[in-house]
Amino acid sequence: MKNINLYLIEFALNSIIRHKYKNIFISVIFTLLVFLLSSAFFITNSIKYQLSQSVDALPQIIVQNMKAGRHYDIDLSVVDEILTLPGVEDVNARIWGYYYFEYADVYFTLLGLDEFESQYKQTLSKMIKNFDFAEDNMYLGNGVKRVLEGSYYKEFFNFIKPDGSVKQINIAGVFDSDLELESNDMIIMSKENLREIFALDESKATDIVVKVSNPLEIDTIAFKIKEIIPTAKITTNENIHVSYENMFNYKGGVFLALFVITIFTFFIILYDKASGLSSEEKKEIGILKAIGWRVSDVLGEKFYESFIVSFFSYILGVSMALVFVYILNAPLFRDIFIGYSNLKPSFTLLFVLDIQTLFLVFLLSVPVYVASIIIPSWRIATLEADEVMR
Amino acid sequence: MVELKNIIKTFEVNKNHSVKALENINLNFKEGEVVVLKGASGSGKSTILSLIAALLRPTSGEVIVDGKQISKLSDDFASIYRRDNIGFIFQKYNLIPNLSVEDNILLPLVPLNLSNADVKAKLEYVMNKFHINHKNGVSVKNLSGGEQQRVAIARSYINNPKIILADEPTANLDKELSLNFIDIMRELKSLNKTIIIATHDPLFFGLEFVDREIEIANGVVLG
Repeated sequence: MKNINLYLIEFALNSIIRHKYKNIFISVIFTLLVFLLSSAFFITNSIKYQLSQSVDALPQIIVQNMKAGRHYDIDLSVVDEILTLPGVEDVNARIWGYYYFEYADVYFTLLGLDEFESQYKQTLSKMIKNFDFAEDNMYLGNGVKRVLEGSYYKEFFNFIKPDGSVKQINIAGVFDSDLELESNDMIIMSKENLREIFALDESKATDIVVKVSNPLEIDTIAFKIKEIIPTAKITTNENIHVSYENMFNYKGGVFLALFVITIFTFFIILYDKASGLSSEEKKEIGILKAIGWRVSDVLGEKFYESFIVSFFSYILGVSMALVFVYILNAPLFRDIFIGYSNLKPSFTLLFVLDIQTLFLVFLLSVPVYVASIIIPSWRIATLEADEVMR
Repeated sequence: MVELKNIIKTFEVNKNHSVKALENINLNFKEGEVVVLKGASGSGKSTILSLIAALLRPTSGEVIVDGKQISKLSDDFASIYRRDNIGFIFQKYNLIPNLSVEDNILLPLVPLNLSNADVKAKLEYVMNKFHINHKNGVSVKNLSGGEQQRVAIARSYINNPKIILADEPTANLDKELSLNFIDIMRELKSLNKTIIIATHDPLFFGLEFVDREIEIANGVVLG
């Protein structure tokens, strides 16, 4: 503590109070800037974390039939062939698809499950234990529930089949998932009912998922499946991971590009307000020099002054962002990143606090501001005191 | 103690135009001496004070204080020289508005990072000496001209400088306050301070404690 000049800090605090209107203005803009920047990073981190979690829960290999360049139903006969491949632990034929609900102009994701078949995903296995598919029941994600209730479907829903007839399915309950990002627009029912709704033949499935004993062999087995069904599209969880990341990074990239422009504008305002030393401030530097302050003393005082203002604003901005993102769940802001479904997920952004992110926001704000104060002050302080005072 | 040798000071107004403020000035000031530099506005008196305080550098010539050539000091050493040797009383006081009386007086001590007890003792001493202790905590902008000047004098004195420079000290004061200022200078003379006052106020002419009066006109010493 002996080396810290408390008088200099006290003088800096006094100076902040003396120029209170200017400092309040700077503080408000700075806080807003840090708040926006931190919020963007916090949301990005949280969604990235959730996506990586959800991708980790994806099947290791998905086999899809292709026809005319489009995904098409796959024949169930290949299931046994794939099962014979060494290293394959389990093969599961999936029935799923999208259902367009015209009244609300939304798409639901429909997934068919069988009570006795093994699930490729732990969350599905847990869910199915509590489900009763015996009586044309279905279970809804939270987003679907909201939409159906808004259309007065509280007990059942009438699905229109491809031939125009109607299939009534009872709403048996709502399922929760810790990863609501993926389950919000989902409806789960028995495979049998789903086949009927989609008019899918008994010998067909939407796609096939393959579980491999050794994750290191995923690529080898994917290659062998390709040899069995040359027309199939084989997707590994690594491919999905990459495409998810690309999609997310694209959205994030567009947003960040706009964001950088905004920040740049903010900084121009800040710089203009902060670095344009008033004649009063210039004269003050001249007086301090005239009564024996060295350039380093003047710059030390300016450092404390700018650091106190910017660090206070930084802490305030980060705190506001934490509340906004993790307590208020980032209203409006998060839709920019997750707007890929017209059924907006109501998920909670998981708390992911990355020290690197906080440090990055700090680096992008506090030192830049401190420099914008120090540099013009240094220019004035190195002039002859007499000249500055005049 | 203070010696100005062949001083020329030119101010550049712009690239093509410059003004000569001082022309071949040679002056000597002894320790404990009180000297009045008299002359009209723009004669060069203030420039001489600024050169002695190392607030300006001469265009040519030497300013020597206590045997050291201060006109060639680096910016930082010039600041230290001022802090340790010079008490400057400016014409417009050059106080920092919105700061309290004691905060203004303490300004020269801020970079020194002295102990609380030292700071308190020095502050008490100068506030008593210049009769402003009753203004403790008051913002200087709320003081009268005379009180502001006493704060400026206290600030110039807080480091106990050897040389006191006063630039047109009574220009903004009425006669009574000007006489008060003269009394303070008389007292400082008794403390063996070297005092150089630049003024065109006739109140300073012929004072018994003033050792010399030097007339400056158009940047030249007349006598």
